[in-house]
Amino acid sequence: MNPVQVTTDAFALLFGGDAELWGIVFVSLKVAILGLLIAAPPGIALGYLLAMKRFRGRRVLVVLLQSLLAFPTVVVGLVLYMLLSRHGPLGALQLLFTQDAMIIGQAILAFPILSAFTLSAVQGADPRAHETAVSLGAGPWRAALTVLNEARFAVMAAVINGFGRAISEVGCALMIGGNIAGVTRNITTAIALETSKGEFAQGIALGLVLVVLALGINFSMALLQGEGGMK
Amino acid sequence: MSALLGLRRLRKLIGGRAMLDLGPLALEAGQGYVLTGDNGSGKTTLLRILAGLEGAEIDGLEFKGRGVSGYPDWLRRQIVCVHQDPYLFHTSIAANIAYGLKARGKGGAEREALVREAVEWAGVDRLAATPPGKLSGGERQRVALARAKVLGARVILLDEPTANLDSEARAQTIALIEKMCRDNVAVVVACHDRELIELPHVQRLHLERGRLDAVP
Amino acid sequence: MHDVFMKKAKSCRCPLALLASVFLIALAMPASARDIRLATTTSTENSGLLRVLLPKYEARCGCKVHVISAGTGKALEFGKNGDVDVVLVHARAAEDKFMTEGHGVNRRDVMYNDFILVGPKSDPAGIRNAKSVIEAFRMLSRGGSRFVSRGDNSGTDQMEKNYWREAGVSPKGGWFVSAGLGMGEVLTMAGEMRGYTLTDRATYSAYRAKTGLDILFAGDPKMFNPYGIIAISPKKYPMLNHTGAMDLIAWITSAEGRQAIAGFTLHGEQLFFPTPGAA
Repeated sequence: MNPVQVTTDAFALLFGGDAELWGIVFVSLKVAILGLLIAAPPGIALGYLLAMKRFRGRRVLVVLLQSLLAFPTVVVGLVLYMLLSRHGPLGALQLLFTQDAMIIGQAILAFPILSAFTLSAVQGADPRAHETAVSLGAGPWRAALTVLNEARFAVMAAVINGFGRAISEVGCALMIGGNIAGVTRNITTAIALETSKGEFAQGIALGLVLVVLALGINFSMALLQGEGGMK
Repeated sequence: MSALLGLRRLRKLIGGRAMLDLGPLALEAGQGYVLTGDNGSGKTTLLRILAGLEGAEIDGLEFKGRGVSGYPDWLRRQIVCVHQDPYLFHTSIAANIAYGLKARGKGGAEREALVREAVEWAGVDRLAATPPGKLSGGERQRVALARAKVLGARVILLDEPTANLDSEARAQTIALIEKMCRDNVAVVVACHDRELIELPHVQRLHLERGRLDAVP
Repeated sequence: MHDVFMKKAKSCRCPLALLASVFLIALAMPASARDIRLATTTSTENSGLLRVLLPKYEARCGCKVHVISAGTGKALEFGKNGDVDVVLVHARAAEDKFMTEGHGVNRRDVMYNDFILVGPKSDPAGIRNAKSVIEAFRMLSRGGSRFVSRGDNSGTDQMEKNYWREAGVSPKGGWFVSAGLGMGEVLTMAGEMRGYTLTDRATYSAYRAKTGLDILFAGDPKMFNPYGIIAISPKKYPMLNHTGAMDLIAWITSAEGRQAIAGFTLHGEQLFFPTPGAA
């Protein structure tokens, strides 16, 4: 198999405007973005609290969070399957094999990243930021938002990382989405399918799309951050 | 004339030992105070306590003649403390000055007017477009002073405002401090600066071994 | 810590609460009742059969059939758990067990094709000369070449296990590779290792990547590979789309369905043969 041939075939499919291909891309984006939107507020809030507050069991929680970063996606998928299956405790919600289930899965996978990275970000911020905010009369919410804003580049990195994990994972999406054509088939599950069919060109094409997406998102983040003068 | 901020006794215990044990203390409106004392004598701690950023045992706390218990939020809003090396938010000069106003819920037009006034007052209008991270030490100090002053606090506490500044910056900062005193505000400046100490009409307070003495 | 949360709870902002309730409402909406969920094996999906077959049915019923493909074992598991409305698999013994255990109703034969043994053109194990599939497996167990097994409880895997059992062989050793992968991946692996494997004809013909494997043994009646379709028991899972499942089963075994199956070809070759119907 000629790698050059496979790649040129891949580009042909990409720019040929294949409707199925772009449908798959849309599912990837939709599920990852919604999953991230759901996980971001609690994830960032937890990271902030862990950085700012001292309480009993804090260290345990931090260690737990950091271990979850390495949690295999297939296991998350399996556990979710057992919960969401009609056979299982949350079966009545009829969520299995839907995009909603995938969104939940992505949110769960992104959550530890958002928390752990935000924790880092806030710890890395100037400790005077919070005190200055408070001394100027900011309440706890405003002070929190101010600190997060001061650490915004690192917090953005948390979000991008979380998004990266969500959009590039396959184990969980496959297990609870079911890889249903036109419904729960996203880029990564499609790559798995095409590979199992020996359709390597299609698989590479989808992989390239994923890379381009990732580049695009990182690029626009960099633009938003402007000069990125501070850390 | 009753004091703006007065207390009978203030004690700060660290590890069982009384780091500060002073009183009575009375800060009058329109009066400038210079707080001197060796490094480690507790000047910064005293300022932080007065600003409500740190706790201490205080007896007989009064504001404008009214007794106060604890250190309620409304009292904290009347007292602002500016750090030795003030932290400016990485937004803009105007946003920094507007910060406290926003936190207090001041509306858009009124807020803008106050900010513009404060920017002029501090003499930083030429620097409006400069990101705060690129300001010199003196410029940052002036923005921090403007940020504190704009809140209309009645007591302003400054911790070593002229340390690490060149002579021109120091002169500008000292000029601002004098302006503040004329605004019927009580200003307390903790410092070693000879020029500040020898300003006319300034009351010197010396902190040593946890006790505060007025120096005539 | 507690105080912080209490404070935050009190000043909870409206937009967040709104977002949360919208999400919960969306979750609560049930899936469209007219759509049918079908769990099937990778051989039917990957060969492209369903892609050609199902749109014909969807046009008739005005509904959508959602296909979840996995190994037979997994597909039947989805059926047992009530996660799909109907299953289409090819492992007779497992299907019968499924029925006797009461998980499914209305099992019908749908179609068949055959299993084949593939391997390197040079055929070091010499199975081209075997007189029966069991003899071929015995030859393979001598261990001169690698044999790659699905190892995943799929229809193919179960058939393979039957052959080993009948040959009186318990396959182990360096020559026996239990991959735990789908058929496509196993074909690639066998190609790379210049080894043998058992596959269904449809997947082998449809597999796009070059493996360098040739068909070395086929045609033994024991290699007959029938497919069955089963609706999940409505008594066990009343919430499923039972009507849809029964309707699909009726169609796929009807003359129209059989015609569609027979009409599906790849490189001019017919891959699935419909079970002859009553009329």
